[in-house]
Amino acid sequence: MKGKVYIRGCAAISPQESFSGSFVPQPPTLADDNILRAKEPDYKAFIAPNNLRRMSRMLKMGLTAALQCLQNAGITVPDAIITGTGKGSLQDTERFLHDIRQYAEAALNPTPFIQSTYNSVNGLIALQQQCTRYNNTFVHRGFSFEHAVLDGLMLLREGNAANVLAGGFDEITKEHFYIKSRIGYWKTALTQPADLFSSNTPGALAGEGAVFFVLGAAPAAVSLEGIKMMYKPSQESLGQALETFLSQHQLTPADIDLLITGQSGDSNHDHWYQFVQQKYFPDTIATPFKHLCGEYDTAGAFALWMAVQRMQEEERLKHVLIYNQFYGEQHTLMLLGR
Amino acid sequence: MAERVFITGMGMISAIGNNVVENLRSLRLQQSGLGHTRYIATIHKDVLPVAEVKLSTEKLATMAGFESTGGYTRTTLLGLVAISEALTAAGIADAKELPAALINASTVGGMCDTEKVYFDILDPQKEGTFLQYIDTLDCADCTQRMADITGIREYVTTISTACSSSANALMYGARLIQQGLVQRAVCGGTEALTRFTINGFNSLKNIDKQFCRPFDQQRNGLNLGEGAAYLVLESESLARQRGARILAELSGWCNTNEAFHPTAPSPEGDGAYEAMKNALAMSGRTVEEVQYVNVHGTATLNNDVSEGKALERLFGAQVPRFSSTKPFTGHTLAAAGAIEAIYAVLSIGQQMIFPNLHFSEKMEELAIVPETRLLEEYPVQNVISNSFGFGGNNASLVFSKYEG
Amino acid sequence: MEALKLKLKQQIIEALNLQDTRPEDIDDNAPLFGEGLGLDSIDSLELMVLLERQYQIKVEDPREGRKILQSVQTMAEFIKSKQAA
Repeated sequence: MKGKVYIRGCAAISPQESFSGSFVPQPPTLADDNILRAKEPDYKAFIAPNNLRRMSRMLKMGLTAALQCLQNAGITVPDAIITGTGKGSLQDTERFLHDIRQYAEAALNPTPFIQSTYNSVNGLIALQQQCTRYNNTFVHRGFSFEHAVLDGLMLLREGNAANVLAGGFDEITKEHFYIKSRIGYWKTALTQPADLFSSNTPGALAGEGAVFFVLGAAPAAVSLEGIKMMYKPSQESLGQALETFLSQHQLTPADIDLLITGQSGDSNHDHWYQFVQQKYFPDTIATPFKHLCGEYDTAGAFALWMAVQRMQEEERLKHVLIYNQFYGEQHTLMLLGR
Repeated sequence: MAERVFITGMGMISAIGNNVVENLRSLRLQQSGLGHTRYIATIHKDVLPVAEVKLSTEKLATMAGFESTGGYTRTTLLGLVAISEALTAAGIADAKELPAALINASTVGGMCDTEKVYFDILDPQKEGTFLQYIDTLDCADCTQRMADITGIREYVTTISTACSSSANALMYGARLIQQGLVQRAVCGGTEALTRFTINGFNSLKNIDKQFCRPFDQQRNGLNLGEGAAYLVLESESLARQRGARILAELSGWCNTNEAFHPTAPSPEGDGAYEAMKNALAMSGRTVEEVQYVNVHGTATLNNDVSEGKALERLFGAQVPRFSSTKPFTGHTLAAAGAIEAIYAVLSIGQQMIFPNLHFSEKMEELAIVPETRLLEEYPVQNVISNSFGFGGNNASLVFSKYEG
Repeated sequence: MEALKLKLKQQIIEALNLQDTRPEDIDDNAPLFGEGLGLDSIDSLELMVLLERQYQIKVEDPREGRKILQSVQTMAEFIKSKQAA
């Protein structure tokens, strides 16, 4: 890889107090369902009232996180806007499906249809910041945000951008929670995030969030050294890929100061993390993150955000590795350095 | 110096044919695929024309080699039919033989089948085989099933940038090759007609009740279509090493955003102009070397003005032959970029320019008119293919003749 | 006519989620689009939905819609003319 890529700014709207103030990880207390809901900021500070009135929740959340991220990085117009989302604006998709039925296909409001398109958040960011350059949206479950990152890294390497805005966003709705509950995505009994890793039951807790980064060539405290995705690997091929990935960066597992894992407390899939930890990182400090943000397609973006926070706080962390997978299918490694 | 990217195989299915040869035949015979839906339950079925693939989902399942549809959505089946043709055409018997990428595109994923059972899924009292469609609503389902069946797994992802989705998929695959991450990328898109999209575009009041008339003064909107198309992209070194038949070069590309309006392009076609100009610059070709532009040409009021202005700005008084093939295929949304990419390659391979059907009256805003005749033995060396969409997402691709 | 216009203003505020606007803030003859209320082409589609759902009046052509939706006054006149027909 030519030239280093740095994380020049980030912002997260999540079930944590992540958007404003200092981040103190705190597993939320759930009242009556297994959903970790994002703590939403006051959008009026970011979006003009005339634009805000039509926007659904996902659009507001995505746009606001993106704008705050640009502000944190001290950039107005990035050279590229790339996002990942597994489900886009679920509320709009659901509303349009319900409207079609309720009004028997007659006189339908166009707004939910427009906003249900997966690239609508991207378009809004471009519109608001007048960014007329590269713009792309990936929609592939646990590879959505990850390909946004890879696309950004490639643009920087190609010399076609100096600053890339890359992010991931997803929301959960009651309706979608129910749909996925029918195929075992979630834990059936109410489980508190604090008890997630001792639950030993199938399913995860649902989560959501919008997390953005500015990736650039200009030096900053934390660098993004690389990303590796593996689609439906075997345990053996995952291990091989991990070894190759680290050696490509002249590292061994012993060089990793902190391992961030995507354990979701799901007894069907957490064995992946046990395997990686036991085989490669028996003595490495490891920390999970899904008790803080829940499980969702683009939860990897929250993990990256958390890694950056930790590295900014703890000077001793030289290399941080994130390993995350989504329901056993999309596996990703992300390596951070200085 | 980044490697050149070649097209070594193509496969497709659309309203005008179930494979590339059938599509070419319909283009030459000037047979449109527009008509009325046989398979979608909608109140608009006799009013709004669509370009539907002339096969039931069950027939598609048979074509894809299955005994029944068994949880495969129409989107997936269209994709499987097209991708297997592409791999066969490229002479790839086993796609697992080397690490490759599958870059797919879709705008509504498995909505075609999930919308039929959505309210059953929401009803706790209901159980049944419909539950096998429960996880097919998103855009990743079709891609993963195609990856699982073909065995392509090094990079597997899906792009959704509305009507430019599969043009962006081609661009992304080409870049993965240039960066040396893979030597082969199979890229394209699949889109099935749905009640959701028909009602969506109808709510925007931009579906024509007549057959669409791109670049015509009387145009009044688009017609939706369905289909799937995939192109096998390979690095020059791989293509040479295995002696692949090279159909054309993907020599330039550019992605821009209008940043103008959620659903409308800028009136002067700023984004379209930039996309075409930069793609051409990347290809190293001049405006004089472009013989054909396969325009986005949706026949909506806004698109054709904006795209036409961009053509006039880029080419001045010498605008090359251009046509929209959407009167043949309808607007296939995420599949459009890849379907039209194949038409661009066919234009080069066959030395042929395809007509813009249903045109009769020049637009008042423009000095140019589309090509309305089938031109044969026309010396086509370089083609620009445009895909512009919602959210301001623009993509232009340049295809060039391979000179050996 | 006055009652119709007041009702229309309330319906427009609700349909377009004009949160800080009251009916009395909307002048009968002020342009709805551009500088007036600052509405755009998507709002115009939403207003056509309003006409269809609330008044059973179908506007097919967006170009025709633009004429009808110039102001509350033109909308009200159009509704009256349709109801009289």
